[in-house]
Amino acid sequence: MDLKNNLNPTLRIAERMDRLEKKMAYHENYLHVIEARLEQKRKKKMEKRKEAFREDLLTYEIRTLSKDAFHQAFIQPEIDKLNQHYHLKERAKKASFHRKLKKLNDQEKQGLTEAYQQDIQALHDEFNEKRDQLIKELSVHEPSEHTLRHSMKDYEAEKTRVQSILDFEEQALIAEDQIILDKEKVRIQKTLDLLKSKLDALKEEHKKRLETIKQDLPDDVILRLDGLRMQFGGLVAVSDLSFDVKKGEIFGLIGPNGAGKTTVFNCITQFYKPTKGDIYYRDKRNDIINLNNYAVHDVIHQGIVRTFQNVELIWELSILDNLLVGAHSLYQTGFFHHLFKTRRFQREESVLKQKAIKVLTDLNLLAYKDFYPLGLPYGILKQVELARTLMNNPQLIILDEPAAGLNDLETERLIHTIRKIQKEYNVTIFLVEHDMGLVMELCDTICAISFGKMLALGTPKAIQSNPVVQEAYLGGE
Amino acid sequence: MLEHRPLQHHTPLSNWKKMTKHPFFGIFLSLIVMIMIQLLGQIGAIPSGVVDVFAIVWIYIIIGLGFTLLLGYTGLASLGTAGFIGVGSYVVAYVLGTAGMPLIIAFALGIIISIGLGTIVGFISLRIEGMYLAIITLGLSEILVEVFKFWTQVTKGLVGFQLDRYNILGFAVREQEIYYILVLALVLTMFAVLNIINSPTGRAMLSIKNSTSAAQAMGISILKYRLLSFIVSTVLAVIGGMLYMMYTRSTIPNVWNIALSLNILAAVVIGGAKSIWGVSLGTIFIFGINQLVFARIPFFTRYGNASLFINGALIILVVMFYPGGIIRMFTDLSRLVKKTYHTILNKVKEYRYGPEE
Repeated sequence: MDLKNNLNPTLRIAERMDRLEKKMAYHENYLHVIEARLEQKRKKKMEKRKEAFREDLLTYEIRTLSKDAFHQAFIQPEIDKLNQHYHLKERAKKASFHRKLKKLNDQEKQGLTEAYQQDIQALHDEFNEKRDQLIKELSVHEPSEHTLRHSMKDYEAEKTRVQSILDFEEQALIAEDQIILDKEKVRIQKTLDLLKSKLDALKEEHKKRLETIKQDLPDDVILRLDGLRMQFGGLVAVSDLSFDVKKGEIFGLIGPNGAGKTTVFNCITQFYKPTKGDIYYRDKRNDIINLNNYAVHDVIHQGIVRTFQNVELIWELSILDNLLVGAHSLYQTGFFHHLFKTRRFQREESVLKQKAIKVLTDLNLLAYKDFYPLGLPYGILKQVELARTLMNNPQLIILDEPAAGLNDLETERLIHTIRKIQKEYNVTIFLVEHDMGLVMELCDTICAISFGKMLALGTPKAIQSNPVVQEAYLGGE
Repeated sequence: MLEHRPLQHHTPLSNWKKMTKHPFFGIFLSLIVMIMIQLLGQIGAIPSGVVDVFAIVWIYIIIGLGFTLLLGYTGLASLGTAGFIGVGSYVVAYVLGTAGMPLIIAFALGIIISIGLGTIVGFISLRIEGMYLAIITLGLSEILVEVFKFWTQVTKGLVGFQLDRYNILGFAVREQEIYYILVLALVLTMFAVLNIINSPTGRAMLSIKNSTSAAQAMGISILKYRLLSFIVSTVLAVIGGMLYMMYTRSTIPNVWNIALSLNILAAVVIGGAKSIWGVSLGTIFIFGINQLVFARIPFFTRYGNASLFINGALIILVVMFYPGGIIRMFTDLSRLVKKTYHTILNKVKEYRYGPEE
């Protein structure tokens, strides 16, 4: 294949473009962060102002109340308080009565019972008396019928006056915020323009260079395994595996236990270096690269993110922080920025935090934001791992047995989530799975392997009716 | 019709509660305590020996804070700390005493040497992990001690290096002034470590400790962060050694042995390897309590080493029952107090009012 010799001439330009694009994305997102922050501040301020006016308004409001409403609003709570007080008193009397009763003989018991009943009666009378008194006292403030209509008008007038003041203040605040926002916008636009002109120049150069390269990979193929072979000592885990994954599809890799599926994944993400064979990948810029030339921690920069068979979250970090770990490759500030907690780092952090919250809301996980993974249900953890892959603007997501250990309901939810991710984030999904129902429902193309060799490749229907696959899976007829 | 919520009042107390939760509040508080100790010592309210003990404890907290990044965050165990502290002390001794150059040169030299040492150990840590890494760093530390013993032109050999009084920026300084330098260094270290812990760097270190494969898949280079944590902890250890030499003005090779490294490890583990307050507490516990409390009880002065037994027993107890460190004990205690308070309150209520209806 001619590809091998012509790899990576545009790589350096691509890296620079990558950096520029990250910077631009950061600046664009930062404007939203400022906007949100200003709005939050404004809301807080307005709440305070409203609170200040409420006391004034309350005096007007009381006068408009009808008799029943007044009773409900002012007298009833007082009565409830009194009632509770007397209820406790009665309970105390009852308790002490029962304690005394145990120590006495029958005659004394009768006397005590009578005394107790009298006590209780007296208590009830006292309560009734006090309640009546309370009602009498409070009813003085009760609005009379003939002032009602008049005070209603007053109240409405006062309300509109207060509202107009509040509206005016809010408008002023909005105008103030707008000035700040406009300033920021101009500043950010300036930097964006500068970056964009740089990016355009790079793009031009990139395009020119790309034209000089002969590319054998068809346009719609994102990943090609070419004669992949992985050998651990004498054991051949994968031998001569070749297939293409097309852009935008959901590709499934199936096979019995020990067929080498996870080994294939580990080869793609460079956890293992393949013994033989190449892995070609088309990155965001239409560049074709050989993944074998990359270190494990560089694969993510090309837009490939993976999950693990056993959930590999960071147990000592909260869910939100786990997502931020997922966005590690997006941080442009270095160690010294972190050490001195510079403003640039703080801004970057707030931008990425907002992004994490957006991803969490997309997957309905926002409620678990501050939880620690330890103790959360397995289904949720799997979803969090999925969310973590989305932080990095991936092009290709590799899922290692996403449904392992989930019950039927959780599996159904997972299918829904994977579909949603594929549509909204516009990614290609490559998955290994044992759950045949899930694979057949989700995948556009399926590849079946056994003992590291390919058995069949095709649509779910074709795979289902393939006799070789049936034999490998079910052990013959 | 009527809104029934009470009017909100912002009391000073509510602001106070918010303030105490801010991480800088603790640092500010400890700064005040540290300065108070020195002032009380100058008045004569506490003996100057106690102030000296505290000064040494502050130095070991600086070293422990570096060590916690290594142990609590990146998950690497090192027993070479004592050797690195020794290097710091001899750098100051040589530059101030023999060469007669200003202190700032000593600091520059110390930091350069420590970065070199940290890089070497960091590269070793890529190949070797766990127990074996600890043994290798221990070996390195022992080599350094041998160098201190036998490179007599620089270190003055087994008798140790005594430093005369010296000047900083032209001013003759006494212990009292150097104490404030220690306090400043500790506060700055606390800020720095707190910033690192709460940044992507700290998160990357934690994810390496938890799962190397997940960390790599997320684009975290293991080489970079292991090197970084080794370099930071070595730099802090060497700075601690330099401050030690500045304060005590004497250094002997035999002090920088494995026992000291183990004590620092114990301090970090006992206090709680993941929080700066845990480390501070553990260090006070290990390095301070012996001389502050046990030295004053007649029984322990008669049988000199008895206090070590108590130390050991406490270490065993803490590690067995509080793997998260003493700092966890405080949260547990406060929870326990709250719980017992509520149960007692309920009991009293039940006695007074009878059972719930």
